[in-house]
Amino acid sequence: MITQEKYRTTVKELLASGSVKMVIGYKPGSTPDRRRPLFIRTSEEADQLVLDSTCMTNLSGYLVTEGLLSDEKRVGIFLRPEGIRSINILAAEYQLNIEQIVILGFDSTGRDVRPLEGRNAGDFSGLLSEIKEKPVQTSKEPLLERIEKMNAQERFDFWQEEFSRCIKCYACRQACPMCYCRRCIVDSNQPQWINTSSHTLGNFEWNIVRAFHLSGRCVQCGNCDRACPVNIPLRLINQRMATEVLDGFDHFAGLSPTQEPVLASFKKDDTETFIL
Amino acid sequence: MTRILFSDKLDNCIAKWRSAGLTVIGPVQGESLSGYAAVEKAAGFEFGMVLPERPLKELFFPQTEPMLRYTIKKNEIDTTDFTAPQGKRIIFGARACDASGLAIDDPLFGWDYKDEYWFQRRNESVIVTIACTKADDFCMCTSLKLAPDSTKGSDVLLRPIDKNRGWLIEELTDRGREAFAIISDYLQESSEPAVPTVVVPEKFNLDACVTWLQNPENFDSKFWKEISMRCIGCASCTYLCPTCHCFDIQDEGDTYSGIRRKNWDSCSFALFTMHTSGHNPRSTQSARWRQRIMHKFNYFPGKFSVNSCSGCGRCSRQCPVDMGITETLQEISKL
Amino acid sequence: MSEPFEPKIVAFVCTYCTYAGADLAGTSRLKYAPNVRIVRLPCTGRISPMFILKALQKGADGVLISGCHPGDCHFTHGNYHARRRWMVFRALLDFTGISPERVKFSWISAAEGGKFADLINSVTEEIRNLGPFDQYQQLIKETESPATL
Repeated sequence: MITQEKYRTTVKELLASGSVKMVIGYKPGSTPDRRRPLFIRTSEEADQLVLDSTCMTNLSGYLVTEGLLSDEKRVGIFLRPEGIRSINILAAEYQLNIEQIVILGFDSTGRDVRPLEGRNAGDFSGLLSEIKEKPVQTSKEPLLERIEKMNAQERFDFWQEEFSRCIKCYACRQACPMCYCRRCIVDSNQPQWINTSSHTLGNFEWNIVRAFHLSGRCVQCGNCDRACPVNIPLRLINQRMATEVLDGFDHFAGLSPTQEPVLASFKKDDTETFIL
Repeated sequence: MTRILFSDKLDNCIAKWRSAGLTVIGPVQGESLSGYAAVEKAAGFEFGMVLPERPLKELFFPQTEPMLRYTIKKNEIDTTDFTAPQGKRIIFGARACDASGLAIDDPLFGWDYKDEYWFQRRNESVIVTIACTKADDFCMCTSLKLAPDSTKGSDVLLRPIDKNRGWLIEELTDRGREAFAIISDYLQESSEPAVPTVVVPEKFNLDACVTWLQNPENFDSKFWKEISMRCIGCASCTYLCPTCHCFDIQDEGDTYSGIRRKNWDSCSFALFTMHTSGHNPRSTQSARWRQRIMHKFNYFPGKFSVNSCSGCGRCSRQCPVDMGITETLQEISKL
Repeated sequence: MSEPFEPKIVAFVCTYCTYAGADLAGTSRLKYAPNVRIVRLPCTGRISPMFILKALQKGADGVLISGCHPGDCHFTHGNYHARRRWMVFRALLDFTGISPERVKFSWISAAEGGKFADLINSVTEEIRNLGPFDQYQQLIKETESPATL
């Protein structure tokens, strides 16, 4: 509550001083446990701001909305550490100018919310390095372990079962801050790389391709997991890929706004044990 | 006196229906998702949920369906049509909103071109609806002038009796009567009262909303931009909607052979209206959300005299950014 | 008697090294298994993982990707980029249960005609031992669309 009140005042100050044109935050949703994204442009709107442990959505995807940042004015946004990593990646991939973003950071343990010190992306580099060293455990870890213990056939069966439910609504893509392509690979049909039909083969291809495109870019914010209407544990694949690039290339996505994208860079001594 | 089907007789009924060649389908709770699926035993059903997460429409209009196979040779093109799979089915335990959804879509699929895939499945399916005794914050059938015990689209309506011991039977159509004649041995006469259906509070004034939507001035209202600012265009509302019916036709294969499929599509996608030229008449998400609302409550009723919404609330229940038809119409009511 | 299983393998190779190596194998009259369909590309850096998926989607039992040795790339570092991508993609295939044994990577230079012939033989043999890629072929069958490889 104290954090929330403090931030309401901060938002009002930011807007009043003209240092930001808008702040993206949260407001109450249709049920007590739900939160909605809120776009604050006036002091009255700031009074609707809610900040508590149920504010889970990573809002950073809204920053790449067409035209939002093109007037070069600054925008404030409420972000958890994962969200800060997201905007670092967006900046590293030249999707936004990090100078235009005012970060209102927060994190929660249990039901307690605490503010994170700093306003600019650079202020959080220490915090993000700490997270890299000591990753936060998520509730899905046991399932990930279970999958890793399976043999190839069992793993295929597991994902076949999961992907067979996919309805190709692309909610995972739309909810993901990293999926900003104007034209997604499934939307192009010359050539048609992926079956657009939502049979299991097409679903398999779609989910593999999305996971590959997110390798070394996913920050495990969980937006895809929460958005999936058929409850496919999508985050697991991305989590596995994040481990892969961390172990293989010591890459922790979104450490800084100038970090080189892992799959667009290389080292001459990268491992190649699998190459004949 | 009404006839009752006691739940402990359901296994016998399922066996009887199955031996009469019907596939028995009903609400099923999967490991991580609920939906309508075929069962062999009554234990497979899950009647306790408010409504299954996946809509009933997908049993009639699947997310992907083959239409024809083509092979192109030097001077000829061979095509073979696919038809919808044959087989009688009984949907036992549909929700009133899901059943209404089917009836809402009937005129659409039978309008200028009769969609054989839809009607074959419709004609071969008996819809047995169970009136709701439970609702959640998102249910809104009453706001759409329907009810938890609406008979629209159903062949039989069942009303639960006390302690889930069974259901009172209300046969509505000949198809329903035929299906229940098969199991008449297991039905009993009774005067036991049904449990009252759940009271679903009205959430918005539909007539006022429709009047607002029909006013051409409101097409360009600022309202649309404000309400849909947080929409991420994920389309899960349309895909889970029991009445959304848009589809796309796709060819899979190559120049010489392949297959033509009918796939779900959604007005929430930017690509939905994209022209070959690159011009997109619905270039913003707000225009797409406006289309969805206008289509459901203005254009569709204009053509078929029925709203294209049955009030199941799945759109709001599922939305990752907590939007939905309820909120939009509530806001319109306030204008 | 049923026919012995002959795997279908698609090879994506770079034109400067492996394709030239394959050419050398040919002009040297080296014999190698006929199971491989070669697709020539300018550089391994151009080989998108989509190609691999597409090959599997069309019914391949195995895929081979091959290019210049590190340091030899005609475009100086296309193969370094490719190497990272493959490593990640392999892990992804493995995690989703598509056996990485079916997707092989190699470096073959223009001078290694012998290595090319040997590799094709050994890869074909390995894939033959793994058998047809039934899991994927079952999925292809469900689509009603024919595998056209």
